[in-house]
Amino acid sequence: MYGNAFISPEEAKRMNEQVEDADKLAAFEDRITRGEKIEPGDWMPAEYRKQLIRMIEQHAHSEIVGALPEGTWITRAPNFRRKLALIAKVQDEIGHGQLLYSAAETLGKTREQMLNDLINGKSKYSNIFNYPAKTWADIAVIGFLVDGAAIVNQVINSKGSYGPYCRALERICYEESFHLKQGHDNVVYLATGTPHQRAMLQDALNRWYRPLLHFFGPSDKTSVHSEKLMKWKVKLASNDDMRNQFLDQYVPKILELGLTFPDPNLHKNDDGVWEFSDPNWDEFYEVIKGNGPCNAERIAVRKYAEEAGRWVRQALLNPSDKYVTPLA
Amino acid sequence: MSNAVKELLYKMADDALIIGHRNSEWTGIGPMLEEDLAFSSMAQDKIGHAIALYTILHEVLGEADPDTLGFKRTEKEFKSCHLVEQPIGEYDFSTIRHFLFDHAELLRYESLTQSSFQPLAQLAKKVKGEIKYHVMHADTFVKQLSNGNEESKARMQQALNNTWHLALGIFEAGEYELELTSNNIFIGEAELKKRWMEKVTPLLESYGLTIPATDESKIAKGGRKGYHTEYLKPLLDEMCEVTRTDIDAEW
Amino acid sequence: MNTLDPRIQRLNLKREANGETQTNSHLVTYEVFHQEKRGKQAVHAGIVHAPTPELALMYAKEQYGRRGKTANLWVVKTSEVYTFSSEDEDVFETVPEKTFRDPAFYKVRDRIEAFKLKNTQA
Repeated sequence: MYGNAFISPEEAKRMNEQVEDADKLAAFEDRITRGEKIEPGDWMPAEYRKQLIRMIEQHAHSEIVGALPEGTWITRAPNFRRKLALIAKVQDEIGHGQLLYSAAETLGKTREQMLNDLINGKSKYSNIFNYPAKTWADIAVIGFLVDGAAIVNQVINSKGSYGPYCRALERICYEESFHLKQGHDNVVYLATGTPHQRAMLQDALNRWYRPLLHFFGPSDKTSVHSEKLMKWKVKLASNDDMRNQFLDQYVPKILELGLTFPDPNLHKNDDGVWEFSDPNWDEFYEVIKGNGPCNAERIAVRKYAEEAGRWVRQALLNPSDKYVTPLA
Repeated sequence: MSNAVKELLYKMADDALIIGHRNSEWTGIGPMLEEDLAFSSMAQDKIGHAIALYTILHEVLGEADPDTLGFKRTEKEFKSCHLVEQPIGEYDFSTIRHFLFDHAELLRYESLTQSSFQPLAQLAKKVKGEIKYHVMHADTFVKQLSNGNEESKARMQQALNNTWHLALGIFEAGEYELELTSNNIFIGEAELKKRWMEKVTPLLESYGLTIPATDESKIAKGGRKGYHTEYLKPLLDEMCEVTRTDIDAEW
Repeated sequence: MNTLDPRIQRLNLKREANGETQTNSHLVTYEVFHQEKRGKQAVHAGIVHAPTPELALMYAKEQYGRRGKTANLWVVKTSEVYTFSSEDEDVFETVPEKTFRDPAFYKVRDRIEAFKLKNTQA
């Protein structure tokens, strides 16, 4: 699962101004224009490397932190089918984290450094995982809609320019299709179940609506674009386009079950564009700053996992082994 | 004879469900990503074994369906051993438990491939590969940690000391041992325990660990008769929390 | 800690307080090759971090073999793999032009037909 990488306006401006070796840059950009992938050993602009590391790292963090809200219900899934599906799904998120950290490692940052930066708060993860999974119905909504949103993002990113990231995303998208199916299955069972089940599902939808709109980041009208990132195929679609694609695919699937979203203004206009009420972007920025309902808990748990697992990793370590950057 | 088979199936299924449930608690917070994945898969396998055993109970022996057996029985009706009920603790305990339990599982299922009770013999043949992997993982991992550094050696020895008498409780005799052995359904807990000791003793010693002296009075018994540690009831309450909010609903 | 997750409630979260990180327990990586079924090539699938080849195999099975079919897995330490530098990619440039190595380069059907035609006419 993944939310959009958030780039501050200052940083985007600085990136657009940075200078590189002209010949090498031209060859690099030609390669991307031809539709070829960049591989780990290639020359690449420092800014490309930096932005990719940041983006893949955020994505990886989002996977392993994303495992936590769903993990909340691992021990409480209500029957064997759901129990196995949920464990397998949370496991997949960890597996996706592993694949993505590996892709980022090929760019020269070790997994250990990335995990440290997660704990230190130096690098971010998707805001949406700073919201709590309050009831079992949240698992259905996360599995269907948060994963649905993540797939929109990931399918687009898998057409990007960096080979190892694309390869990881292809496999991730394949596995996410299982997440989506089991999430939809869960939603449908609750929606067609008892009044109690329907009510808990509607309540979960009401709570996740705004975080889902936030998921793709601020509107294009207010956010700063980096032409370079578009040109280098690091970023491939605008926030609004992705959000629209998501609403187009998923809103009807909720409405057909007789459920609602808590927004009277949510509708598709004549141009095929979804309109909605302002989802309170101040809240989005507050959560990014660390003031969301679960930021502290998520980081505390990751710290715990790192520290409680430290003796294990230390004991496994072979001092004569020398770490080298993985190949692909 | 069906009571004897039921007793065997219930304790095997309950052990598998409870340890699978416990080990799934590590999913997402394990000591490293690769280990997290491996431990989670094994937890899923264990729950899968429980379902397969409950399915035999349901389809062949007329007991309730698997979800009812898993999610709607009382603590007293569970026949799991005390070892599997313990909280996950730290990774040293979870790893040693995994080692001691899975060696018993492998030997149990290997012997059951010869069972005269066909549904169980077939299941044993089907899952022996999975359990073999669980044992490979346990052996490799316990060996590494026991030979790691001073801290890890001390931790593994301490975990073994704390776990030993709990593990011996796996082999608590049931009411129908004689019936099971004389009908070639199962080799019996006493024989299984003997094979297990012959297997784990030299292995643990080869890792540099010292096997604690066995004190018969300390062996954790009672689970097979429905007497449990203080940990099982809260575990079941948690596992069934959602189910109980709407007991007749389909989830 | 105030949490909705009963698993987390059971953890001893006092440890989180110190928050120090480590910089010296990064395990090496193994490149993993996955053979889907007998008779097929083993194909590079990705990497795992592991302390020994044995554990690398254990981990490769879960990360690269937990869905679909697997006949076997190979692992090799990343540091033991040799590759061309991407700057030397030009050594491969003229290879596609060397069509004399390709079966499609050898087309004699026209010649045979012409030969046959000539003979029947003769």
